[in-house]
Amino acid sequence: MGHRVVITGIGVVDGHASGVVSRLVDESEARRLSRMCQMTVAAGDAGLDTRGELALLVGTEFGDMVSTIAFVDGYLRRGPTGLSPLLFPHTVMNTMAAATAIAVSARDLSLTLNVPTVAGELAIARAAMAVRTGRIGACLAGGADEPPALVLDALREAGAGTEVRGEGAGFVVLESLDAAHARGARILGEIAGAAWRALPARPHGIGRPARSRAIAVALEESGAGVAEIGCVYTSANGDGPREEWERALLDRALAPHRPPQRALCLPAGRHSGLAARSVATAASEAGDRLGLVHAVARGGNQVAIVVAGPRRVAPSRAIEGLASAEAPPRLARSRAVEGFASAEAPPRLAPPSLAQRA
Amino acid sequence: MRPVAVTGLGVVSPFGAGVKAYWEGISGGVCAIRPITLIDTEGFRCRIAAEVPDGVGGSTRRSRADRLALAAAREALDDAGIGRPERAEAALIVGAVGGGMLEAEAWYWQRARGVPTPLPRALASSFPSAHADVIGSVLGLGGPRETVVTACSSGAASLAMAADLVADGVVPLALAGGVDALTRICFMGFNALKLLDPAPCRPFDRDRRGMSIGEGAAFVVLEDIARARARGAPVYAELAGYGMTSDAFHVTSPHPEGEGMVRAMRAALREARVAAGAVGYANAHGTATPQNDRIEALAMREVFGEGRLLVSSTKSMIGHTMAAAGTLEAVATVLTLVNEVIPPTARLETPDPEIPFDCVPRVAREAAVELAISNSFGFGGQNVTLLFRRAA
Repeated sequence: MGHRVVITGIGVVDGHASGVVSRLVDESEARRLSRMCQMTVAAGDAGLDTRGELALLVGTEFGDMVSTIAFVDGYLRRGPTGLSPLLFPHTVMNTMAAATAIAVSARDLSLTLNVPTVAGELAIARAAMAVRTGRIGACLAGGADEPPALVLDALREAGAGTEVRGEGAGFVVLESLDAAHARGARILGEIAGAAWRALPARPHGIGRPARSRAIAVALEESGAGVAEIGCVYTSANGDGPREEWERALLDRALAPHRPPQRALCLPAGRHSGLAARSVATAASEAGDRLGLVHAVARGGNQVAIVVAGPRRVAPSRAIEGLASAEAPPRLARSRAVEGFASAEAPPRLAPPSLAQRA
Repeated sequence: MRPVAVTGLGVVSPFGAGVKAYWEGISGGVCAIRPITLIDTEGFRCRIAAEVPDGVGGSTRRSRADRLALAAAREALDDAGIGRPERAEAALIVGAVGGGMLEAEAWYWQRARGVPTPLPRALASSFPSAHADVIGSVLGLGGPRETVVTACSSGAASLAMAADLVADGVVPLALAGGVDALTRICFMGFNALKLLDPAPCRPFDRDRRGMSIGEGAAFVVLEDIARARARGAPVYAELAGYGMTSDAFHVTSPHPEGEGMVRAMRAALREARVAAGAVGYANAHGTATPQNDRIEALAMREVFGEGRLLVSSTKSMIGHTMAAAGTLEAVATVLTLVNEVIPPTARLETPDPEIPFDCVPRVAREAAVELAISNSFGFGGQNVTLLFRRAA
């Protein structure tokens, strides 16, 4: 059975009207960190209201590819003398996790998971499992992406052209219900069940509408039946064949019920940080029912997360709905990101070139 | 939690394809670091690496890294005797960094020079996650599928993550491992950081001058030990514990006192419920940079005390194979337990007096060891220690 896993923090930086203000990180960090790392650090810190032995799971599709291209371009322009030793570490995808771990003093395990489309959901599902089994105490889990135009162009030519992609970062704080109660944390929701499996599909391809073991296992872990799912938050992103596959998988897994489906990626574009927003939204909208956060990628990776709202977790302690929640007492509020409910959109985020529908 | 057994091994190394060639190479103290042939090295101070020799096989429509990974993964599954029906439930965890970047770089180089170049198939496979999709699809693995990027400790992290899934009963078995092919970015980056020795590396030597890079792939099959015994599978060793920590200190430099390394090693000991004194061998991260070897030794001394522990570095023979290193070295550690032979640290002529351990210079040593660790550390302060117990 293990621990019950609750959500006690949320931080998102993206082109949506959400918890961001004009500066993502402080000036010294802005000079030191790539833009990708700035977003990750800002989102990670926004979700955090405690520090200690914290784990970190970051999902990403592209890593800091913008810095990778800049590193290579230095060589192509000037040969070996054009190579920047400062940029090189950013060519490895775990650089955002490293920057965030330093910023928030996360000294437990730190994992970066790379996969198209489902990276953020996978990070949250993996983190939930680790908290449930007691392997980690508290975890910052979510994702970050900054897709460079060059790569988007190349992927479009390779056949992934209809996807709407954005940039941003988002994290939730997960911990055991007991730990959250012990420190008096506000409870925003619960990860009641989570699972991930591979569906039969060729690399980059769409599979058949097979039986979804990920959804079945996540529901089983939650102890809930399909009739309790009030809404499904899908990974729809403008990739028509993939969306059709996702609909078919959901229809089969949830039959005979047909709960309403929502996708949060449009119009600013999908990125790995949106998983945190989906989970938080599912929790805030669940009421007495459950939300299902679902994502499936070309190639067959599938993630299902069953989310309960605060009313279902601990009625006497929980706060009803994220939008009305007061900011929790924070041990360190050093960052510029003020919380989920503020609504000032950031400058320079999700420019049209990065959030396009081909 | 269920005990986790290692029941299958697969390797593609700079000694060629197969576990046998790998063990013969490292137990023989052979250095496979040679002049680079895969990429242009003109203008760089270091021009050597440990490349996988010709004959990897597989369709050239796939990236070099995909082919390395597929060959090693297939060998591991065959070695464990895992058939198609069992694979449908098996997890697949891949540690990767460079993905199919070698081919993507070639395309980008041509494009930058204004040469009209058709988009290669490999470009869509340039991300690390591509390997898992290829392996999963070709070999029919239908359980949880993940690609982990923890820099140079990725291959070790993949084993730890897979062990969780088996120990917690999420899956009955898992295929886990790491892969990296040589890439221009990696070669140029470590050159830019001035971390490469122009000559083959010399871990733990007083006169070491930096690392050598390499390429390869390794996979292991991890399995519920009771299930493995019930089906009569050979058990190489038990993955008895692991520790994964983050320094949260610096993006490239390890903590100066190895604080995160110490926590990783102690976490592995704690999970395995063994005392530090019971561990007989450490397959060190041992990159041969002056700083890393010194700090790793400092951390090992803190955990195990001076002197008694035998330590060696596989990188002295196959270079630093990046995401593959953690798994290649885990396989070396397992084979050390099985064969009762400690692979040496090749080219170790003058032991560094700051390294208070017997680092098994140049020649392998016979030693029956019950417990051994494999250390892997990476950029971003990513520390992983795996602890293996000899099969009963």
